[in-house]
Amino acid sequence: MKRYRIGIDVGGTHTDVVLTDASAASYRIEKLPSTPHNPAIAVLAGVERLLASGVEPHEIDFFGHGTTATTNALLEMNGAKTGVLINAGMRGVLEVQSQGRDGWSTFDHFFQRPEPLVRPAFVREIHGRVDYRGHEIEPLDEAAVREAARALHAQGVVSFAVLFLFSFMNDAHEKRAAALIREEAPGAFVSCSSAVLPRIREWPRYSTTIVNAYLAPVLARYCADVAEGLDGLNVTTRQRFLMQSNGGVMPLAADAEAHTVRTLLSGPAAGVRGASYLLGQLQGWRNLVTMDIGGTSCDIAFIEGGEPLEHADGVIDGRIVGAPALDIATVAAGGGSIAQLDAAGMPQVGPRSAGASPGPACYGRGGAQATVTDADLVCGALNPDFFLGGKAKLDLAAASDAIRRTIAEPMGIDVVTAASGIVRIVNARMTDAIRIEAAKKGVDLSDHTLVPFGGAGPVHAAQVAEDLGVPRVLVPRNPGAFSALGLLCTDVRHDYLRSELAALGELAPAHAHACFADLEARARAELAAEGLSASGAQFARACDMRYAGQGYELRVSLDGLPEPLDADALAALEERFHAQHAAVHGHSAKDTPVEIVSYRVRASAPMPKYAPTAETAAPQGPAPRPHGSRRLTLGPGRTVEAALWRREELSAGWTGEGPAIVEQVDSTTIVPDGWSVRCDAWGNLVLERRA
Amino acid sequence: MTSAALKVDPVTVQILRNRIGGLMEEMAHHFFRSGYSTIVRESRDFSCVIVDRQGRLIASPPMFYHATAYYHLAQKIIELYGQSGFRDGDVFVGNHPYEAFTPHAPDMAVMAPIMADGELIGFSAAIAHKADIGGTVPGSSWGQATEIFQEGLMLPPMRLYQAGVLLEDIERLIAANSRQPRLVLGDLRSQTGAVRVGRERMQALAKAHGARVLCAALDEMIEAAGREMAAAFAKLPDGDSEAEAFLDNDGEQSQAPVRMHVRVRVRQGRVRFDFSDSSPQGRNPVNLRPPLVEACCFHALICLLDPALRYSDAAKPLVEIVAKPGTVLNALPPAPCSSYMKSCQRLIDVLIEALNPFCPSRAAAHAGGSGGSIVVAYGDGPRRVHHNQHEIFGSAYGGGAGHDGASGTTVHLSNIYVTPIEIIETEFPARVTRFELIPDSGGAGQWRGGLSFAREYEVQQPATVLYRGDKTKYPPRGLAGGRDGRTSRFLLDPGGPDERQTPANCRVELKPGERFRIEAPGGGGFGDRALRDPKAAARDVEDGYVRETTEAPPQ
Repeated sequence: MKRYRIGIDVGGTHTDVVLTDASAASYRIEKLPSTPHNPAIAVLAGVERLLASGVEPHEIDFFGHGTTATTNALLEMNGAKTGVLINAGMRGVLEVQSQGRDGWSTFDHFFQRPEPLVRPAFVREIHGRVDYRGHEIEPLDEAAVREAARALHAQGVVSFAVLFLFSFMNDAHEKRAAALIREEAPGAFVSCSSAVLPRIREWPRYSTTIVNAYLAPVLARYCADVAEGLDGLNVTTRQRFLMQSNGGVMPLAADAEAHTVRTLLSGPAAGVRGASYLLGQLQGWRNLVTMDIGGTSCDIAFIEGGEPLEHADGVIDGRIVGAPALDIATVAAGGGSIAQLDAAGMPQVGPRSAGASPGPACYGRGGAQATVTDADLVCGALNPDFFLGGKAKLDLAAASDAIRRTIAEPMGIDVVTAASGIVRIVNARMTDAIRIEAAKKGVDLSDHTLVPFGGAGPVHAAQVAEDLGVPRVLVPRNPGAFSALGLLCTDVRHDYLRSELAALGELAPAHAHACFADLEARARAELAAEGLSASGAQFARACDMRYAGQGYELRVSLDGLPEPLDADALAALEERFHAQHAAVHGHSAKDTPVEIVSYRVRASAPMPKYAPTAETAAPQGPAPRPHGSRRLTLGPGRTVEAALWRREELSAGWTGEGPAIVEQVDSTTIVPDGWSVRCDAWGNLVLERRA
Repeated sequence: MTSAALKVDPVTVQILRNRIGGLMEEMAHHFFRSGYSTIVRESRDFSCVIVDRQGRLIASPPMFYHATAYYHLAQKIIELYGQSGFRDGDVFVGNHPYEAFTPHAPDMAVMAPIMADGELIGFSAAIAHKADIGGTVPGSSWGQATEIFQEGLMLPPMRLYQAGVLLEDIERLIAANSRQPRLVLGDLRSQTGAVRVGRERMQALAKAHGARVLCAALDEMIEAAGREMAAAFAKLPDGDSEAEAFLDNDGEQSQAPVRMHVRVRVRQGRVRFDFSDSSPQGRNPVNLRPPLVEACCFHALICLLDPALRYSDAAKPLVEIVAKPGTVLNALPPAPCSSYMKSCQRLIDVLIEALNPFCPSRAAAHAGGSGGSIVVAYGDGPRRVHHNQHEIFGSAYGGGAGHDGASGTTVHLSNIYVTPIEIIETEFPARVTRFELIPDSGGAGQWRGGLSFAREYEVQQPATVLYRGDKTKYPPRGLAGGRDGRTSRFLLDPGGPDERQTPANCRVELKPGERFRIEAPGGGGFGDRALRDPKAAARDVEDGYVRETTEAPPQ
């Protein structure tokens, strides 16, 4: 009997399906149009297509899914009717928020916050308070909780957020309130801030919890739909998983009341996870920069020593979401980004995008503005007759015309120069974003390899690499389906956090050990509840640390320190912190006392993964030959004749020289002059800059 | 350096402009993430910039209060040390409002010349509020000061590093003059770290592109932004207008209102602001220095013309500012000037009111302005307290053409964050007992003013509280038929038997268990409330923002 695993990634235009046969170590790709009104339809249609091609439903033993269901519900304000319980007198936290105007010009006196997810009429104040040490200073007003729950439920509230101060130190009031709400409002969802994000600073915690509450019923419903659909197709496996923002998966039936916010970056995380596992851990490329270019944006992430960097301070559509997530920076620069002149006649590219409709001028759907894809076409990077493998044609005349009208003529330059200017600007914006993000995270780019994916990634990658001073680009076999493949490269991954401020110098090693042991026990219990074995699971420990007096922490790994912790281990931990502070911020202060703010445990339960094998045999048959050549403009005075290659004809061991263009169904790779290219044993194209 | 002849292609200019803008963000990120005082890491009362070799900004920081100071500071440093008097690794420090052009003495500037091929190509710099630099009161800003000499240590621009070597004498001098030396030096080192990052990145750019190309590109981006502003100014219709408003008083003991008055004259895209009829300089620290008046004028213009415009120092010739020396808007030394924020905020309201007729589609009523600030110094008790609790409050925007004012936010010129309750209670012996919007505090109108907020505290150890506010007497004005926003208040024992309101500037001593309450001013309304969309009016009531159905908001 065969053993199949399926990964399905839902994107804005396409739903990508990847099927691996565990024994054959190969995969197959299907692309279906997405169904934005109910994404589950395309997902299940994808499964059906596989079944129709001969896959037996009981032969499927893993289903991995990257979803945008929660993200879209948030962007479209399509979540559940949500109510809030907050400490008496403290509703101002929800109104004033950070008091800042992030994302707005300082000069805009018409500033408006995003529409609130919970209207003030659905916010109820409850007496009861704990202090900064977690000691109760006023008991919870249980009668008020019951009354509020009943009243809000009667008004149609189906999901509650419970937001009490210092609940990260003591969650008793929030837990008790949740229990009372469940009694009074049967069937309602209850999200507690201490369960969603047990971290100091009330507004980020409350914002995250409200987003969770608003979306929990959406996620639960969506997951139930998918599960039912799979049941209906006789797919019997219990191994059904959702991608999380942190690069791990969680069971499709996981606890939405605590974990919904962890799915908001489900889509972009899968590709980064795929890169870290396939390229980083399996193939030995330890330090990578990934660049996922879509129609409107470019997602950037770093992989250090095989592991993606992470953060916990995300903002989605102007709302703070503090869930653990792969640190993916998004710059509004993609194939659809519009080029135009500003009032002073200076060329700008993005952030506005022509999107999928009308799209770039060359799509011939009525777009009249010049976009990056139009510029790529005019520069010769794209083949007008081989877009999506020839399934679509690009209109070169329309692209030239748009660039002539909006850029070239007003600037008094020719169309190709204008097009290459657009490409240079958008490349530079991506380069800048990578450089800024690298600097913020203390990443040294000099020993990194750039990994482009998404259809447009490999078109721009080599030039971005030139600008960054990165000498190597690695293009995976199928850049256009890389995110779906990433879904088959994951582990179940849960994060646990406990905030408890202590001076490192006064901390008893036994107490620190007990904190970690407590988190680990919770992790084991949750894995068991999900039907997963904790025996093969790994538990990684880390601390959030700072200098006394600072307000923000750096996460320091305890990897390799002895267990149970002793005094020497804590001393070593302090040294790690000094070194990390110097690396990130450029200075350290060894004379200043160090504090631990939080303890973290990450539980990883390993899943079977897609496991390609390296090609060792010499290629068979005749050596591939170029399919003619095309004029390619890469910059001012840099127009070359580039050889054209077909990707499917290139196998391990093939080498070529730039200028060259490698075309395939799901992408195009540009190899500039001064670069060489080879196909490695894993099926990647490796581009290297000649010294 | 002769870069005038060198022409850099617009694409390279654009690329470098984005890059330097990103670099400024990077500097700011390092600063607040590694800063020590709550005023830096929670409020973010600082800015980081790159300027060219004349001191002209490449891009303006979100903290626009500081934007115009950098040019004057760079010019002063060049005057003192000479264009060729810099060495790679030099770093200058200064906080003297009259010598280093910072808004007030607690704002300490750090500025590092950027050298490439032995020549000056620009400066990397940051200005940040320091927790305490000595003076009469904790936190250094004293509402009753009559001379800058009571406002703490004054440093004219001087070297902090010489060719990369720290001059420890200066650090020791600063430490010896502060009630909180560790906090101040910690922040100063984070600030210098951020400035150093800016310098190194710019040197790398000079290496990659060549110093001459980089300088020519800087010229072009500054001048292009100036042309962009000129094009926007050209759309202003010719005309004349005037407006005025009053600060409640010029200090704690005075009840004399301070008049801010402007006459605006627009002719062919040039704007003249004449402040001649404003009050003489105040006895207490409500006074402004010319860079701040300049910042307010440009801020108001950009607000009304197009908030997407980039401020450029190259646009200065388009604006003429007349402010008589010895007036509140051009004070002479040693007049104190530490309460600059509330004065600037009041001035912005005056300027926007005067400019409204020129840009009716972006016209707006007065904002709440500064919500005031507190410095709380705690005495002995069960908890050891290492530093002062320092908070800066926002207020609300006024309504404007087509828009309600936003509630509970910092307004104009800055983006100051509120300090989280959980940070306050963890770090200080205090409890925040209420934090809420004040119903009916936004001026009624077709477009409602934003609501302000109240915050109530209980101290748990003996505490000295210094409060500096405004708009207790003169409310944020409604315009075009809109109602005024609610005035601000500072209350002791709020809701208790001894409830009493203090003056807008006060220093009070509290015993453990005693409480105080800050109420920030609300935004003014815009347009006649009879014209308000009934659905919006109903929603205001539903949301609890408006409780009254009668006409007059409580004053």
